[in-house]
Amino acid sequence: MSTRMFRIFSALLAVAMLLGLVVPVAHAQGPCQGSSSQCAVEAAKQFAGTTINYVREAGLQAQDPLTMAPIWEELTGIKVNVIELAYLDMYTKPLQDHLTGGGAYDAIDLSPMWMQDYVNAGALEPLDPYIEKYMNPADMEDFLPVYRSEGVMKINGVTYGLYDDGDVFILYYRKDLFEDETNKAEFKAKYGYELTPPETEQQMYDAAEFFTNKYAPELYGLAMQRMEGQAYSWFVGPFSGRGGQFFDENMKATINSEIGVQLLTDMVKQNKVMPPGVEKWGFMEVLSAWMDGKVAMIVTWPPIGRWSAGYGDTAKQLAWVPASKVVGKVGYMPQPGGRPTLAGGFNMCISASSNNKEAAYLFIQWMTSPDISLQRVMLPFALRDPYRLSHFNSPLYRSAWPEAGEYLDTLKKAAMAGQYELGIPGAREYMEAIDNALTAAYAGKDPKEALDEAAAKWDAITERLGVENQKKAYEQWLKNPWNRLGPKVEVPAE
Amino acid sequence: MGLRTRKFLASSARYAVALLALAFFLFPIVWIMLTAFKTPSEFLKSPPVWIPQTPSLVYFEHVIQTGGLKALGNTLIISTSTTLLALLIGSLAAYALARYRVGGDNLPFFILSQRFMPPVAVIFPFLLFFKALRWMDTHQALILIYLTFNLPYAVWMMRGFFMEIPREIEESALVDGCSPLGAFWRIALPLVSPGLVATGVFCFIFSWAEFFFAIAITKSQAVTLSVYIVNFFGKMMVQWGEIGATSIVSMVPLFILSFLVQRYLVRGLTLGAVK
Amino acid sequence: MVATTEALTLKSKTPRRKRRELIPWMFVAPCIMVILLVTVFPTVYSLGLSLTKWEIGLQERPFIGLGNYIELFSTARFWHSLLITLLVVVVGVSIEFLLGFGLAQTLSSQMKGKRVIVAALLLPVMVMPVVVGYTWRLLWDAQYGPINQIIGWIIGQPFTYTWLAKTETALLAILVTEIWQWTPFMFLVLLSGLAVLDPEIFEAAEIDGASGWAKLWYMTLPLMRPIIIVALLIRGLDALKFFDIIFTLTGGGPGNSTETLSFYIYQMGYQFFRLGYGAAASFVLLVFLAVFLTYLLKAFKSAVGS
Repeated sequence: MSTRMFRIFSALLAVAMLLGLVVPVAHAQGPCQGSSSQCAVEAAKQFAGTTINYVREAGLQAQDPLTMAPIWEELTGIKVNVIELAYLDMYTKPLQDHLTGGGAYDAIDLSPMWMQDYVNAGALEPLDPYIEKYMNPADMEDFLPVYRSEGVMKINGVTYGLYDDGDVFILYYRKDLFEDETNKAEFKAKYGYELTPPETEQQMYDAAEFFTNKYAPELYGLAMQRMEGQAYSWFVGPFSGRGGQFFDENMKATINSEIGVQLLTDMVKQNKVMPPGVEKWGFMEVLSAWMDGKVAMIVTWPPIGRWSAGYGDTAKQLAWVPASKVVGKVGYMPQPGGRPTLAGGFNMCISASSNNKEAAYLFIQWMTSPDISLQRVMLPFALRDPYRLSHFNSPLYRSAWPEAGEYLDTLKKAAMAGQYELGIPGAREYMEAIDNALTAAYAGKDPKEALDEAAAKWDAITERLGVENQKKAYEQWLKNPWNRLGPKVEVPAE
Repeated sequence: MGLRTRKFLASSARYAVALLALAFFLFPIVWIMLTAFKTPSEFLKSPPVWIPQTPSLVYFEHVIQTGGLKALGNTLIISTSTTLLALLIGSLAAYALARYRVGGDNLPFFILSQRFMPPVAVIFPFLLFFKALRWMDTHQALILIYLTFNLPYAVWMMRGFFMEIPREIEESALVDGCSPLGAFWRIALPLVSPGLVATGVFCFIFSWAEFFFAIAITKSQAVTLSVYIVNFFGKMMVQWGEIGATSIVSMVPLFILSFLVQRYLVRGLTLGAVK
Repeated sequence: MVATTEALTLKSKTPRRKRRELIPWMFVAPCIMVILLVTVFPTVYSLGLSLTKWEIGLQERPFIGLGNYIELFSTARFWHSLLITLLVVVVGVSIEFLLGFGLAQTLSSQMKGKRVIVAALLLPVMVMPVVVGYTWRLLWDAQYGPINQIIGWIIGQPFTYTWLAKTETALLAILVTEIWQWTPFMFLVLLSGLAVLDPEIFEAAEIDGASGWAKLWYMTLPLMRPIIIVALLIRGLDALKFFDIIFTLTGGGPGNSTETLSFYIYQMGYQFFRLGYGAAASFVLLVFLAVFLTYLLKAFKSAVGS
């Protein structure tokens, strides 16, 4: 997107925000008929003068609420204090706060993975009464079904969060390299089939190997995050897609099944066709290599799709993002392997020990309402990604850059086929065990041995938290079709 | 080989070793400082760029905008208060230990041993304790914790300093009708003022750099620099520029302080065991 | 000195004198109170905590006696973290000592600019450990770090080894980082120890024809023994609590292979909220510290107790 287009777009956004300011709202009482954002604003005015503390991941993530909070304050007189925490602290700190008295946080961002721990600890406020009172029911239906399902926004049928971040892995590939005639011919000669954007893991590996052999060290075939603390997300989707299961019927861990071991073996093998040092790569390294045109394919979170299109690269918050050398060359595919990982994501939740629950709820309703959230997932520097049907269908978004439509369709398709990370009590610990197994295998440990150890850790966690309790929680969690492992999501007809 | 040549060679060798050591020990510090002035495409370039090509203060501005000043202020308030309290309470106790041998030999050693308490062993009770007081995320909570870790240190150091000054001066004051507190405050304390400064600097440094308690106790209001800097190490991105800028802010004051008390460094670092 | 004190306190026991005897205790009282309140209370509380099963996923907090300790001792990860801790304490501190001693020997004689050199060498001690960890993480980076670049210059071809991704080299990186930060401490302490040695003894030995090694082994080291012991013990005790650098440099990885005991306890107690278990592990750490501490206190008594 050119600078000029971006300016026009910004102007349109500003107008939209202003309209939001001046449109009068008639109904102050009763269920909300009109826009949920305006209902929230009207109802929130009674709390003018209060301050709510809202927990957000530190860094670029926080730029979004920092941009929105002044607008909200202007509308309602409620001040929002954005508290920035490092990602892992977002799990521990509010929980610690709850255990040690609470009251420090009103609204919290939580990964769906962590919800059961929070609900079990009694740390979250059920949102259904507020939703009934303040939200237009149609806006609830507008959340993409995968995001409003049990285990994500709801635990045991009770709503505890409003979903706010459509995080799903997709594959970004270099169209120019894949469409190059010489590459196509050479690839076919070597592998015996056409070079196409990969749908399967094998195709992805072949293409990666091909490009690495041909171009390294100028360019490598593939890059993914392998750093400790996040490596597990790249395991979950393919594991499910290959038919792996987390537990057997007795709640014994089965991550060390043949499928798991084969997958980890393959992941270790993938490292060889990725840039050297990839074992320590996080988002930044993948991003900068990609933007610099040094890799042919990456599998990662959605914002890269916007940035590599050069969309909004004049925003000052994005000054740190390397300028894209791949504008117009980027194609999108769901993460190969059938079940793209629904990695992370965020719910906005209300702390049970908050003293300003109602005001905090109205704030998160406003933030996630269709019109306001569209602006937010379109902020060039936002790390929040589309999650509402109206986001995916928005003509404004679909025209933000030439391939934006393709990007949105791929995101939606990937999400609807996605696989969530485990979200039962102790989820954090279970996932860390997988993470440890992966990084140990990257360091040279035998994949089977590494996963056997992880499985032993899993069994110990399960036993400690009570096999029966965990079994119940897991069964409950499996009620969400996107949590069930297997090659395909079976979505019930609505 | 003549004696002169040998001497010359020996001294050149010494300078060579010194140079090598300086390179090794200063390089990391210089590197992180330079990072604060590099653009992302410079610190994410392979092979790395050593000298920033377009140095700017953009990360410092960013740090200021995102609560860096508040973290700095918190760190200053907490470190200063702890230091003053530790000096006050500590030197009073140290005086009694040195002059009146209160508790004999064992009490000073008991007090000293508390300095080595592992933070992980006491953190959760602290959390519950501060919850009951409604002190979570406050300055006073960290001040109190750091005080308990600085007090043993201050007592031990100051005891050494008091033992070094001749007691006759105070004795004559006591005979002249001065109260023990008066003798401590008006006579003994001024005499050990260099020691007071040195001890204070070390208490300050400890509180300044502490991380474990700070990350457990603070949430938003009392965040210190060491906790603040960790937030730049995100899941999605590592803001090396901001980490560099905050590092500079955290390092420079301590460097200056350490120069000021250079004479007492050894004594301070060895808890008074080596003078 | 003791005699004078007694002379001062043992004079006539008038009421005023009695009051005077109480005064020193009043001087110490605030200090003792703070210490009791904030270190003794938590320790006792933790001991109780370590006998219960307190976990975030459970509603009950049953008393389980030594259950946590039994689990702890039968967990390989715990023993491994202990091993890593001891590795840092033993190997790290020894190398710090050797390097520090070598440097101190080299720089002990008069040379121009010595004050500045010493002051500059000491800077690593003054850097926040959290910052140290991040800095070295950047230095070790496979692609963006200068270490690989410099090695590349030496061997004449690009070098992209990922130090922190392999257990052995991640441990090496941790040790180098620890050594980087604390060798200056050893250096400074030993330097000041060397400075107070009487040069005349050495001159006499030289006349008797003693070699450099003989002087080092039979004179310098024995003379400096108290100082060396104190320096080693202080470093050893602090290294037992090694945490911040692990937190920022390796995060305990790859796998759990570089976790120290403090880091393990932190993970268990404050990341996974296994509070009882974490308390049990921290008690084991306390026992280790106590052993070291006993030696430290003895060393102190011989170094400064006089």
